[in-house]
Amino acid sequence: MASIIDIKEECALQVRDFEFTYKGAGVPSLKKITMPIAKNSITALIGPSGCGKTTLLRSFNRMHDLYPGNTYAGEIEFEGRNILTPKEDLIHLRTKIGMIFQKPTAFPMSIFDNVAYGLRLQGMKNKTELNDRVEKALKDAAIWKEVSDRLKNDANGLSGGQQQRLCIARAIAVEPEVLLFDEPTSALDPISTQGIERLVIELKERVSIIIVTHNMQQAARVSDYTGFMYLGELIELGHTEELFVTPKEKLTQEYITGKFG
Amino acid sequence: MIDKIFFNFTRFSALLILVIVAWIFVVLFNHSLEAMHTFGLDFITKDEWAPNLNKFGAYAAILGSIISTTLAMLLAVPIAIGVAIFLSEIAHDKIKSFFGISVELLAAIPSVIYGMWGLFYFVPIIRDIFGGMGIGLLAAGIVLAIMILPFMAAVTRDAMNTTPDILKESAYALGGTQWDVIKDVIIPYAKAGIIGSLILALGRAIGETMAVTFVMGNVHKVPGSILDPTTSIPVTLANEFTEADSSLYFSSLFGLALTLLVMSFVVIAVAKFYFLRKARRA
Amino acid sequence: MTAVQKRILINRIALGFSTLSALIALAFLFWILGVLVMKGMSALNWSIFIYEGAPPGYDQSGLKHALVGQLILVSLATFIGVPLGILAGTYLSEYGKNSKLAHTIRDISDIMMSAPSIVIGAFVYAVIVMPMGHFSAYAGAIALAIIMIPIILRTTDDMLQLVPGTLREAAFALGAPKYKVIKDVVYRGAKAGILTGVLLGIARVGGETAPLLFTSFNDNFFTTDLNSAMPSLTVTMFNYAISPYEDWQQLGWAAAFILSMFILGLNILGRVILFAGKGK
Repeated sequence: MASIIDIKEECALQVRDFEFTYKGAGVPSLKKITMPIAKNSITALIGPSGCGKTTLLRSFNRMHDLYPGNTYAGEIEFEGRNILTPKEDLIHLRTKIGMIFQKPTAFPMSIFDNVAYGLRLQGMKNKTELNDRVEKALKDAAIWKEVSDRLKNDANGLSGGQQQRLCIARAIAVEPEVLLFDEPTSALDPISTQGIERLVIELKERVSIIIVTHNMQQAARVSDYTGFMYLGELIELGHTEELFVTPKEKLTQEYITGKFG
Repeated sequence: MIDKIFFNFTRFSALLILVIVAWIFVVLFNHSLEAMHTFGLDFITKDEWAPNLNKFGAYAAILGSIISTTLAMLLAVPIAIGVAIFLSEIAHDKIKSFFGISVELLAAIPSVIYGMWGLFYFVPIIRDIFGGMGIGLLAAGIVLAIMILPFMAAVTRDAMNTTPDILKESAYALGGTQWDVIKDVIIPYAKAGIIGSLILALGRAIGETMAVTFVMGNVHKVPGSILDPTTSIPVTLANEFTEADSSLYFSSLFGLALTLLVMSFVVIAVAKFYFLRKARRA
Repeated sequence: MTAVQKRILINRIALGFSTLSALIALAFLFWILGVLVMKGMSALNWSIFIYEGAPPGYDQSGLKHALVGQLILVSLATFIGVPLGILAGTYLSEYGKNSKLAHTIRDISDIMMSAPSIVIGAFVYAVIVMPMGHFSAYAGAIALAIIMIPIILRTTDDMLQLVPGTLREAAFALGAPKYKVIKDVVYRGAKAGILTGVLLGIARVGGETAPLLFTSFNDNFFTTDLNSAMPSLTVTMFNYAISPYEDWQQLGWAAAFILSMFILGLNILGRVILFAGKGK
């Protein structure tokens, strides 16, 4: 029933009949979602509040497991295996699929230590190696010039936009395959937002990106593919331009033209 | 008209607190003047508490207070932090509420009962293991630690719970384990609140009377070892206030009370103003 | 062992320690409660409520004097402390709000909540017992009231502040004077919370021994004379338990049991009221 485009390129993730129910809820929040995520491109998830886009996003890195009691069914295929099985190594998974949150979440430590955190978790101790990787990550996150002279300073001294780019640097330092963005600019001013959007477009050369956004214009600006969700279902997934100009589903058209949400 | 009367009633009641507190300091100070004039600094530094000779040097009591409280903190702090971590990060819903309520009920049990339990059930154990009377600094330190534990665990847990969820999730999202998140995110974030809570509990422990009176021994002598009976400031006050028979004796007791009040006031104020400020604003 | 494996191991050990501490704390709780219940219940019987205190070895001894005395002291303290505490909390929430004075009062009151209660006993001794020349229930009740006021002040202040500002504005908009807004709208809205605060204050004060030691002192006999020394459950418990007499010690445990049940009951009641109030 849903209109899902057939992606010819390689896929980073493949969701198959994924169903998710929150603890104690009578009805599932996500109903049999099937969706491909193209590699090295940006897939945006849009839809009105409560449609399940964040719930779906957080399933990719098994964030829901932090809060026991939820149930799910179906498959999410990544690197040739289903990552929803109980024997999936979550720590390893999360170094391959990273996440950036709605508000900047700089840890209470120095800028350098923030970016190095993921690397140290993996056991990297060599100072030269750490320095190189941190510098590379900060450069790739387009913030190196602003902080190179104060790496030892506390990260909380940075502005909101800078902190968010720091979080991005921290996430890409471990060189993940996929990056999940959960409404990353909702707490930022327009100029910082622009900066992040530009950065996200640059990053897709190296990682596959899924971005949840409640801002349709942002999805139109940034993404290659867009998925429209409504009440826990994936209504339509297609090339961004096509979806916004000639949507195939009526619901999609109504959402885009502002009839609801 | 009624408005004004009501307003004045409320303001009077509120100001009353300040008045009472100031009054307490003034009264204690006045009544200790005699002892202060007679003994000067010796009151605090001399270990010579002899009511029959009308000589009062409270060093033993002060030392007893300091050592028993320090011992209690050494024992209680690690366990309280462990319990706080358990309550805020490890326990699942039902266990969390069961434990949480247990901790708060424990905190509600009157301290005199801790003292009774300590005397009848714990002291014999100390006696069996270490010999001697069983009553003394060690018993007092342990009973005090158990008494202060629930309060300390509860306020430390509250401090840890101020850590925002997405900050914790960010660390998990990088592949961190629970302990990584606790050690690298929660504790640094809630550092001020945690230390403040611990110091606040210390402030309470200093003034604890009943739990300790049963098991300390009320012997005015600097103890030779941790197993020896001794005394602390609250214990001295509890046992001797009604036996004082000379004005100098009374004055010395008031001096002790003033010392105790100042000690705990300072510790609690430091906890509150220096460390717990941040936690409140968050 | 790789770094990741090492971290996972350390994680297990750390969480294990934490769980162990929780179990240790729980063990002590059960130990103390268990002792209390066992010794308390075995010492309980009707004679406790019928007979008053008697010298050790006497057949017909009980706790009537202490129970009644405790009731008198706590009631008197409540009578004095609760109105003052509620009024003071009202000032802070409705009039003082964020002024420097209000913050100072809040801070000092907070500190008083953790200050040693025996010092308050010494204060009341100097200010009331000495001039009067003798111990009295008045002195004891006043000492307890002084301890109670900061608790009630704090909870009233917090609970009143939870009442939404729009509710007050609606009442003002209808032309109500401020005291009426407070009485009819704010108090009503915070009713459950204030009641809980009062119950918790009573529970806290009901378990105090130290401030009574030299204010209401103690008495082994039944009395309702407020002007004389008044027996209390807590001080009696203390005296009996620390005595070398077995029958007195038994009574001490019975007293401990009764007192604890009462205080725990008040705590639970307070919680239930707050919970039910929140549900609305």
